[in-house]
Order: sequence, then C-alpha cells, then structure tokens
Amino acid sequence: MKSAVKSLPDRATGWLARAVIVFLYVPIVVVVVLSFNGSDVTYKWAGFSTRWYGVLADDTDLLSALRISAEVGVASATLATAGGLLAAMGMARLGRRFRVAFSGGLFLPLVIPEIVLGVALLAVFGTLRADLGLTTLVLGHLVVTLPYAALIVLGAHGALDPALDEAAADLGCNAWQGFRRVTLPLLRQALVAAWLLCFTISFGNIVMSTFTSGVGTTTLPLRVYSLLKGGLTPEINALGTLLVLFTFLIVLGAGLRQMRRILVGGDRTPG
Amino acid sequence: MTVTAPAHAPAPPTAPARRSGFRSAAVTAALLAPAGVTIVALVLVPLALVVRDSFATADPYGGIQGGFTLANYQQLLDPVYLKVFGYSLGMAALNTVVCLFLGYVVSYYLAGRPPQRQGLLLLLIIVPFWTDFLVRTFAWINLLSPGGPVNTLTDALGLTDGPTRWIPSQGASFVGLVYAFLPTAIFPVYASLRGVDPALGEAARDLGCGWWRVHTKVLLPLARPGLLAAALLTFVPTLGVFVIPVLLGGGKHELVGNLIVTLYTEFRNQPMGAAASVVLLTLMIVSLAVFGTAAGRLRRKAS
Amino acid sequence: MSRRAASRTLLATSVAVSTTLFATACGGSGSDAASSSGGGKNLHVYAWAGEIPDSVVKGFEKETGIKVTVDTFDSNETMTAKLSSGSSGYDLVEPSQYTVQQLIGQQLIQPLDHAKIKGLGNLALKFRSPSYDKDNKYSVPWIWGTTGFAYNDKCIKSATSWKTLFDPKYKGKLYMLDNMLASYIAGLQVTGHRATSTDKDQIADATAALQKQKKILAGYNSTNYPQLLAGGQACAAQAWSGTAMAKVVQSDPHVHYVIPEEGGSVWTDGFAIPKGAKNTTSAYEFINYTLRPEVAAKVTDDGSSASANQAARSYVKNKEALANTAIYAPNATIVKADFLLDPGTAMQYFQQGWTKVKAS
Repeated sequence: MKSAVKSLPDRATGWLARAVIVFLYVPIVVVVVLSFNGSDVTYKWAGFSTRWYGVLADDTDLLSALRISAEVGVASATLATAGGLLAAMGMARLGRRFRVAFSGGLFLPLVIPEIVLGVALLAVFGTLRADLGLTTLVLGHLVVTLPYAALIVLGAHGALDPALDEAAADLGCNAWQGFRRVTLPLLRQALVAAWLLCFTISFGNIVMSTFTSGVGTTTLPLRVYSLLKGGLTPEINALGTLLVLFTFLIVLGAGLRQMRRILVGGDRTPG
Repeated sequence: MTVTAPAHAPAPPTAPARRSGFRSAAVTAALLAPAGVTIVALVLVPLALVVRDSFATADPYGGIQGGFTLANYQQLLDPVYLKVFGYSLGMAALNTVVCLFLGYVVSYYLAGRPPQRQGLLLLLIIVPFWTDFLVRTFAWINLLSPGGPVNTLTDALGLTDGPTRWIPSQGASFVGLVYAFLPTAIFPVYASLRGVDPALGEAARDLGCGWWRVHTKVLLPLARPGLLAAALLTFVPTLGVFVIPVLLGGGKHELVGNLIVTLYTEFRNQPMGAAASVVLLTLMIVSLAVFGTAAGRLRRKAS
Repeated sequence: MSRRAASRTLLATSVAVSTTLFATACGGSGSDAASSSGGGKNLHVYAWAGEIPDSVVKGFEKETGIKVTVDTFDSNETMTAKLSSGSSGYDLVEPSQYTVQQLIGQQLIQPLDHAKIKGLGNLALKFRSPSYDKDNKYSVPWIWGTTGFAYNDKCIKSATSWKTLFDPKYKGKLYMLDNMLASYIAGLQVTGHRATSTDKDQIADATAALQKQKKILAGYNSTNYPQLLAGGQACAAQAWSGTAMAKVVQSDPHVHYVIPEEGGSVWTDGFAIPKGAKNTTSAYEFINYTLRPEVAAKVTDDGSSASANQAARSYVKNKEALANTAIYAPNATIVKADFLLDPGTAMQYFQQGWTKVKAS
C-alpha cells in the first residue's frame, strides 16, 4: 500500500508535521519540569520537590473545579457532536438555498465575540429566572462548541458520495440500517475528531464559563484565572502534569493492545 | 464491510425531490431540530438582545437604560477604532494562512499513517491543550524570557549575544496565536482528508502526476470542505482573542476582542460594546458572502 | 478492515479517556458535590480568589454548621454582570470600593441592617464610613491594599516618585498595570492632579502623559509583573500591593514596593449582600464572624493580605508581614492616598482617553 520509496517533498512535509507535533509539546515539557519545583513561585527553581502534588491532593477547590470542567466538557461535547451529526445529515436533504441559510445560522456563534454572547445569554437566563449552574454552563458551552462539531462533521459528510445512501437502499437497507451500516462507520473518525476538539474547547473555556457558571460550578480555567491575582504556584503545573501523564497512560494502553492484536494477527490491516 | 469513498468526483448533492413528500420533510425537520432549536434559543434570541442594546444608552453606573440612539455607532467611526479593526483583520488573516498550511501538512501526514495509529496521533495532538491555557502561556513566558532556555540556546549557537527580550512582543503574540489555533486547523482538514481513498493519490502518481500536481489537482480539491471549515474556525475566533495579546504581546497592540472586552468591563459601556459587536458581525457576514460567491464561482469554473 | 479498526480504537480511547477523567475527578472530591442540596443552612459566597482563606471558611462552618460554597471571580465586572442577571444565587459578594458605588447605583445590593452586625468598631478608622459608602451602609471592608509601584535596585538605586515610570532612561524596562483606572492614578498624579479627578481637562493632561509614556513601556501587565521585577526584566513596574507582590518582596531583597510621594491610592474589597439573597441570616453571621479580630488576622497569616480590621493586627502571628510595605503600607505613606472612586459620568473622558492611549 505504501510505496517503498517516498518522494523528497513527502519526506519534507513528514518532518515538518513531526516538528509541529513537537512544537505543541514544548511548553508541556516546561510545565512538567516546573511541577517539581520546590519554590513558592513557578518562575524560580528552588530544587526538586514533590510538595506541590501533596498540596494538590488536599486542594478540594481545585479538584472540584476539575470535576465540574470534566462533566461540562463531556456533556457539551457529546451534545454538540450529536447535534452536529444530525444537522449534517439533515442539511444534505435540503435544497441549496435552505442549506446555505442553515449553515449560516450554525456558525453565527463563531462570529459573535464570546463575551457579547455570554453577557446576552446571561440576560436571557436572567429573564427566564433560570438558576445559574451546571445546566446553564453546559448550554453556554454547547453554543460555543456546536459550530466546531457541525463544521467538522459537515466537511466529512460532504466528502461522502451521496450515491452511497442509494446503494444501501438498493441492497435492501432501510434508512436506519443505511445510517448504522454505511454513514456512521464512514463518519466515525470525523465524529471522534469533532468530539475531542469540542471537549478540548469546552475544557479550556474561560469567557463563556464566566457568565454561565453559578453557585458551586466554578470551572478549572475560571479557578486558575482568578488565582492569577495572587500569583500562580507550581500546584497548577502539578495538575497539568497529572492530566498529561494520565492521558499518555491511556494512549499507551491502547497502543499495547493494538500491538498485541497485530502480533496475534486478529484484526490485521491489509498492506 | 470495507467502505471507501468513491474515486470519482463527487456528484452534486441529491435533490430531495425524489424522496416522497411529507414523511421525508418530517425526517429532515427532525434531523435539523436539535441544532436548529439551540441556534434559535441560545444564539438568535441573545443576538436580538445585543442588537437592541447597541441602540440603547448606558446609565452612569454601567447599567443599560434603554432608549434609542445612534451615538454608539457614531463613536465607532473614530479612526482610533478603525485602526484596531484593521490591525485585527490583518493578524487574523496571517494566522489563518499559517495555521491552514501547517494544518494541511499535519493532516496529510496523519492520513498517511497506519489507520490504528491515526487515532493515537490525533489524541497526541490534542493532549497539550488539556493543560490549562494560562499554565501553557506562562510556560512560554518562562522559555522565552531573557536568560531562559531558548535564549541560552541561541546564545550558544551565536544567534544572539546576551539576554534578549523576546517577550512581550508582537512576534511572541503571533506564535501564541498559531499555537492556540493549530488543533482547530488540523482537525477539520484531517476529517475531510480521512474520507479520501489513499489509492487516489497513488493512482494519480502512477498516471505520471508530480508531487505538486497530486496535491493541487487531486487532494486539495477533495479536502476543500475541511479547509474551508478550518479557515472559518481560525479566522473568525482569532478576532475575538484577548488574553494572548495581553500576556505575550504586552497589551500594546489590541485586537477587536480586547476592545470589546474593555468596552464591556472597564469602560462599563455595554451599549457601545454591543454596537462594536454588531459592526464586527456585519463585516464578517459581508466578507463571508463575498468569499462564498467567489468560491462558488471558482468551483463552477473548475468543473 | 483498516478503517473500522482505526475508528474502533479511536472510539475506545476517547470513551476511556472521558470515563476515567470523570471517575478520577469524581473520586477526588466527591464530598462537596452536594454543596447546594441538603437540609442544613447554606451560604453562597462570590469573592476574589485567595481573599477568604480556607481556615476562615472551615472555622465558620465548624462553629455554625452552615455549609459555605465559595466561588471566585477575576474581576469586579464579571461579578457585577452575574448580579445584574438577577439569578446568580449568591448571598454574599466581595466588591472593590468603586464597584460598591456601581452596585448601589444599579440597585444590585441591599442596605445592611446594622442592628444585626456586631464588631464594626474593630475596623480601622480609614474604613469606617469611607468616602464611597457613608456609614458603611452597604458594605463591610475586609481586605485593603495600595496601588503604587515596585522597582529592582540592581537597575534603579532608589525611587520615590511616579516620574520613575515616565523616565526614558529605563526605556523598554518599564511596565504599567493593564488597567485603565490604575494607569490613570499614575497619569493624573504625575501631572499634578488628584487620582479622584473627574475634570475633563485634567484627564486630558493625564491622557497625554500616558500616551507619551507608552513609547518607552515594555508593555502593560497586571499578571506576572512581580516575576518580571524579580527577574530583572522590569526595572520598575506599577503594582498592586497584596499576596503576589508581598511574596516577591519577601523573597528577593532587590525588589522594593513603594507608595509614590504623589499619593498613590488605596483600594479595599469588602462584603455586601446582593438584592434578593436567599440566606441573609447566614450572610450576617458570616460578616459578624469575619469582624472578629482573631478571624480577620488570618487574612494576613494565611493569605499575605492586609486586614481592614485594626484590632486584628495584634492577633497577627507573622510580625514580618505587619512590617512589609507590600502588605501593610505604613500610615505615614497613605495620608495623601485617596480611595479610587467610580468616575460616574466622567467615565466617557477616561474611555476616550484610554482608547487613544491603547490604539496609539
């Protein structure tokens, strides 16, 4: 499948791509190193220490903020991805004019500065007498992430051959079966990509969270942002390190499982 | 079953005409409902409020008083504000171009990896962004500070001589922007390249297409929906960024995002902030419409 | 099957990531999940991060059995926006002095019932009936500090005046706070006016000075300036006293915090009860608890901030903190320091001026 001899430009772009991925990890290395800083401040090295991990373990405020962020991230990413998928499928059934109008509406939230949308949403929630909390937070993040999910899924859906649906129908699949067996498997990567991006955007969101969070629902970025005033300590680095480490463990776990599968030959890829 | 995207050029989308009437329309409506309701209730309604506020006056304490005035828009005609708008558009365009280029390169690389590894690589790309934004930014500040690791390295290589100030600067601010928007550019492009049959590139190559032609004539057109999405997702949100120019750029050059945040917070002048947003929104819609027609014309010419 | 295999791993990985993240996060702090439910009495506080030490919250909960939820904000404006929505759900907020004026003007906080408050007499004289809130009708000051500047003596031998921050000698090594009102304190005082000025021409003077100053600034910074001072990247930087500045002054003998001879300014964050608060009884109990000298002393011992409570000073265990200018400014230096007030209708002059400065 892969040609044995790669062309020079292919190799060059390959190296550039790897360099970009390394670039993404440059600050992460610093974060990890500084998490073992014994000093009270992040910018001055005062010897190796794990004290900030201890501080982190006892910091209920920060951990509960992490919990809120994880909950909101999972909920809003799931809702946004599902909404985006349905919208992409629905839009394929629309005429050109309606499709353009609908996609215009979908990316409208992107065009409105988040603080403006946040303040306006807050006013709407206020008028409805809706208590600020997890629900309003998830709704706020849904608005922010929906365009990302919708555009990614739309892009992938647009690359599919519309004849596939008909082919499935000709083979005797009903619409649901066609969706389950043809559309969904083909879109799975795009859906996962959309979900991951949405989760990440929600997990890091500050502005929308500022206006839609309520009693007891301070998210992680909000907490960190408000800590700035007193100066950040390596505790935040410790938290970042644990999150990265933890994700790596999972990636590694998944990687090992695959290796085994390849060795045993169960689900082998052709070529 | 192994389903790959078709090798022939995509046919125009199926017209709904063939499907039978009412039931089909109901299905379409049901599919569009979740996103549609979200947009109407949580975007259009608040947006109407913003438009209303942009014509209101503020009371001396920062509350919104109501009434009707055009003063908020008139004040925006001040060259001071136009300068901010112009600078932001330039920054956003530059950021979009760089991110799209890198996004395409990375996506192409990803799509060429063995299938199982693609998922892991995708995760690998997104993981750095689970570390808090501010923590990452301060890591950059540590790295780039005079006498910091990067400075020591460039000193050793003879590129600089002694402590050099990289931060705050517009360059640092730009690097921060690119960093922040890379995944947003990579993901949509990857998602659409993923649907392309790898055999397609091979076939083109076998037919004697050079590397450049394989990309410009075959892969880029197929990745177009993803590239368009990535361009939108990068360009527009860059305009709203406000923390990066402050932390990495030293707050001396503002983006529209900073302006609107300042209007809403420090100036406690919500009506004028709303007016600035409406102007931004209109600018965006107009430029997108122009962009859309141009792209459409180009496509028709190509086919 | 390549495609299916790939998507299956992707899916499995992302599900695994999310579920484990969930599980660990929940395990980490399952106890306070039910903060708003339960039959007992509750108190919902919205405050600046780090200004109410954990020890104070824990002590109050233990003594009264009231469950306290503290959420934190990063600017007065976000807090104001939340309150103006009318459904924030908070019982006690901690605005800065000029924000107290705005909240009163927008009718977002309620007058305090002084019959229910014990210990107002413990407050330092400066905070009893302050200019922004006569007779403490709406707010009880809790923490205070100053707006001044700091310098590194490796670069500047000594400095006492705002003029240092306007001196071209230090071009590229000067920082100002990225905050309009703070910048205008320096701008107004260096041009010979008062920080509380609302006069159009005086503000124009200050704008001109700040515009000229921008050319020699390295940047505006209100986050990591203590770090920049300690690292020598900044010769001088406008600064707020308090936790972050105090830490650097304590750990680095070369960094000095100064209240400029032109006056500088005093700020204070205090407690107020929002309109429509549900648990006002708990809110009053909390205010009374924090007015006790031994409790108020904890903001200095556990939070490196200055307490507005005069009686608390003798309870402070960390005597060094009492002598640290970046925490407790000596009385003599703040004689000329005004509380920074809300500019009211003069805001438009500040807005026009500051926009000009920032866009120049």
